[in-house]
Amino acid sequence: MIRFEQATKYARTKGIKKPIIEDVSLTLNRGKSVGLLGRNGAGKSTLLRLIAGAIKLDNGRIIRRGKISWPLGFAGSFQGSMTGEQNVRFVARIYGVNTEELIAYVEDFAELGPFFRAPVGTYSSGMKARLAFGLSMGVNFDYYLVDEITAVGDTNFKKKCQAVFETKLQDSDLIMVSHSTGTIRTYCHCGVVLEKGKLTYYEDVEDAIRAHDKNMKEN
Amino acid sequence: MTAVSYLSTHVRVVGALLVREMSTRFGSKPGGYIWALLDPAAHILLMTLIFRGIARAPALGTSFALFFATGYIAFQFYQAMTGYLNSAVRANKALLSYPNVAPIDTIVARFILQVGTTSLVAFVVLGTLVTTMRIETDLHWPAILEAGAMACLFGLGVALVNSVLFLKYPLYEQVFNIVNRPLFLISGVFFLPDSIPAPYHDLVLINPLVHIIMSFRQGFYPEYRAIGLDMDYLYGIAFLTFFAGMLVFTLSRKTLRNE
Repeated sequence: MIRFEQATKYARTKGIKKPIIEDVSLTLNRGKSVGLLGRNGAGKSTLLRLIAGAIKLDNGRIIRRGKISWPLGFAGSFQGSMTGEQNVRFVARIYGVNTEELIAYVEDFAELGPFFRAPVGTYSSGMKARLAFGLSMGVNFDYYLVDEITAVGDTNFKKKCQAVFETKLQDSDLIMVSHSTGTIRTYCHCGVVLEKGKLTYYEDVEDAIRAHDKNMKEN
Repeated sequence: MTAVSYLSTHVRVVGALLVREMSTRFGSKPGGYIWALLDPAAHILLMTLIFRGIARAPALGTSFALFFATGYIAFQFYQAMTGYLNSAVRANKALLSYPNVAPIDTIVARFILQVGTTSLVAFVVLGTLVTTMRIETDLHWPAILEAGAMACLFGLGVALVNSVLFLKYPLYEQVFNIVNRPLFLISGVFFLPDSIPAPYHDLVLINPLVHIIMSFRQGFYPEYRAIGLDMDYLYGIAFLTFFAGMLVFTLSRKTLRNE
């Protein structure tokens, strides 16, 4: 369960103050994967970082029951000067999981070949996505926070993601940000629309997509 | 989260960062960790050769090498510390996207590594010099340890402040580097502050690094009187800087997380 209690967060850049969420109270229960929709710059990625606990609210609180992943996204949580393997070792250590097992899993999943032992800085975005995806799937979380990452990579990779998600989703949930409504439909049961600092929850993901489309038309 | 699991996460993260820092700092170069030793040793050797050509005798004792090594290494406890720690948060920016990793963890990991590295350099370089000298030297350990500890604490405090201010005010980084560079010349690595004439003597003593080096040298030269050495002043400045650093660092969590 993830519960927002009067949660407020403003984004501040160069003197411009913009609400991400304003006085939001909402409960996301276990057992349902959530698609997070919202226009460009609404703060979907920031919201994921808030849920992960990587950044803090200005006001209110988020109660988390269960183990939550870091946000898996393009920007990447990888240190470019470290090799893929070193990055995996690092994550294994900070999450306290077996290092060798995780390395074996990720090496097999990401299919980076010799690049697994090359600095991440030399990777293409597709390779980074494979590494990030494999890495997070190798650590067991109750919630996986996914930020657009399935959009990168070729069909082969997408198939693989789908396969691993299907097994994972039996006991874990997704909170997914994607501009592709198709992806959201595939993975999510319910939806949350982020608009003007408000979160609106929809039991049926189709309703969420409809509401989002309506927002986009109104502009 | 309970206090114990909170603490154990920090310990795990600092451990992981230590491994990461060691492998990227020296692991990528041929020779690896040897450079941590070779670099200061070569520096001292070079300075010794240059000054042996210029002066007849060092300001203290008979060995140029020991005189410079004591000054240089005491100075390095501060200088290498700030130089390395200033960028601790910035260099690990990507890893801060893991919620487990806190900005302070990057500082703690680099602090541990730097204390270890400079101490090792001190042991090897000074140990070699002291044991190979013809005259027997009585080491006064409390003075050496006190000086080293204060240098590390002061350096840590400065770096904590800098970590925040460098991110907030890029101009300050330029200013700091300009001010910090000549410190090497005015902190008494090459000269004894005792020999500076009256009006300037007091000015030189404002610099806490002067006191660090004086105290450090007292540990190697029992006859050295270190006129003007004020340990209370040194402790005061070091702890004040450290507390100020902790305060600024704690209050600036958002800046450090790059929100």
